[in-house]
Amino acid sequence: MTLFDLARKNAWRKPLRTALLMLCVSVAFLIYGLTASFVSGSQGTSAASDDILGVMSAAGRAQPLPMAHMNRIAADPDVAAINYTSRMRGFVAVEKNVVAVSALDPQRLMAVSGKELGLTPELIDALAAQRDRVLVGRALAEAQGWRVGQSVTVTGFDMARRGGSRDWSFGIAGIFEGENASTDTYFMIADYDYLNAARARNRDTVDAFVVRPQASASAGDLAARIDKMFANSAAPTRTQSEKQFLEAFLRQYADVGLIVDLVVSAAFVTLLMIVINTMVFAVRERTFEIGVLKTLGFSGAQVMGLILAETLFIVVVGGGVGLGLAKLAVSFSDPALGLVFSMPVLARAVVIIVILGLATGALPAIKALRTPVIAAFRQR
Amino acid sequence: MTTANHLEPYIQLSGISKAYAIGGETVPIFSSLDLKIPSGDFVAIMGPSGSGKSTLLNMLAGIDRPDAGCLRIGSSRLDQMGEAARASWRAHCMGIVFQFYNLLPMLTVAENVELPLLLKSLSARDRRGRVEKVLELVGLADRARQYPVSMSGGQQQRVGIARAIVADPALLLCDEPTGDLDRKSADEVLAMLRMLNREFGKTIVMVTHDPQAALHANRTLHLDKGAFIEERRAA
Repeated sequence: MTLFDLARKNAWRKPLRTALLMLCVSVAFLIYGLTASFVSGSQGTSAASDDILGVMSAAGRAQPLPMAHMNRIAADPDVAAINYTSRMRGFVAVEKNVVAVSALDPQRLMAVSGKELGLTPELIDALAAQRDRVLVGRALAEAQGWRVGQSVTVTGFDMARRGGSRDWSFGIAGIFEGENASTDTYFMIADYDYLNAARARNRDTVDAFVVRPQASASAGDLAARIDKMFANSAAPTRTQSEKQFLEAFLRQYADVGLIVDLVVSAAFVTLLMIVINTMVFAVRERTFEIGVLKTLGFSGAQVMGLILAETLFIVVVGGGVGLGLAKLAVSFSDPALGLVFSMPVLARAVVIIVILGLATGALPAIKALRTPVIAAFRQR
Repeated sequence: MTTANHLEPYIQLSGISKAYAIGGETVPIFSSLDLKIPSGDFVAIMGPSGSGKSTLLNMLAGIDRPDAGCLRIGSSRLDQMGEAARASWRAHCMGIVFQFYNLLPMLTVAENVELPLLLKSLSARDRRGRVEKVLELVGLADRARQYPVSMSGGQQQRVGIARAIVADPALLLCDEPTGDLDRKSADEVLAMLRMLNREFGKTIVMVTHDPQAALHANRTLHLDKGAFIEERRAA
């Protein structure tokens, strides 16, 4: 037997109470795991790069920028590569089946976003081989059940063709995987020239420029310099990192992170109250035994350690089960939900488990530490 | 198991005073109590309720402190030690047998006996070896995996004795060790204490109300109103 075995046996002396406590903890961590996975994976913000810059119109992301801006941006020595994009939102078959198409220059694509999107020269060649081809992200392809070689028709919400139709047909040239599981791959990449030539309005304009700074350059400084460059032009810009842009985009709908933090905090505060209350009772029931342990030679600190180990054991087992269930749920969830149980989510959960375990055990442990043996023996 | 040196005085109390505040009033328990117990002695302490027997035993166990005076056990001045030092002293120098055994119900017999060894730097194998040895000594080797609740009072008290001696302390304190037992079980427990005193030289201080139990000791001290009033030596 070890001191940990002693703590574990103490925890299991009332199995139903301990099992219910563990259930409470596991439910709280299941909620945490799912919500944190949602935040982590939502729209790919967790995988979005802090280094890649997006240059958009200062008047709003829906306002186009002139193509002429590109040469001036590219002339900055801190710019390693640049691409331009027009984004089309539309639907496939039914209006609620929304998809996004990013129209880019295939030849510039690899240098700017190749690493993050998991692109290969073969995929780029396949895209460039014919103007009406697209590369489809893995998440979108799986959600729609699309395969390479298949044709799809996207009906644009606001991008119409010159003849008035809003239907755009594409042949799927390949599927890109994304750099890792949390990369947003729920969109497709089209050839800018194809869309630009056929669209009715805003021809030869772009929605944004995508800039990869030199490795040695400061992305923040470059962003400020670009905006300063066009501050007094007819089309001033607003330059943000890809991550900043996506987070700002999400905040247009709701501050998801704040909502998740509030929900999770409420769950954990409730849990804290339940576990502290139960542990205080559990330790009070054992005051006499604490006196016995101290008489046998256990110091106050050792008794305190035993109680902290007991609460940690309950929280670790409960938290582990909750996180395991969350991981399982994420694994089997629809990729379109964009849930990503990433390492940062797990690491944060482990930190919360340790803090929660110690916080819930602290009050009863301190009480046990301070209980004099003589007073403990009067409790029987 | 080690044997103690019979020549050295082991426990020395001089000028011990102790009082409790009860309901705003100070009730003195001892004032200037003196006592010497040589190493390897077996002393019974008797006296009416409220005479201070338990307070004396608590002070000898280092779980209560005198208000004044010197309390020395071996080379340790318990009256000058802090809480942590006294806990460490208890873990290494003293074993205690309670009236109601005070075994932990969720632990097996072997695990209960092993408890004091968790505070020592011993390997799991050494701890197991010691537990097996003392359980054999108290005649419970075959009950190691049982839980206390399934045992009789006499058997539980033998587990309590095994727990008290497993760390091989020189001093054994017994608080009414037969108070909850029938005569036959009480005699078995007392015979065991006698054996530990005679064969292993343990210094034993036993508080008891039972004159029959006191007969097993080398001498009996009668405590009344905070002072020793009589001493009887075994024939």
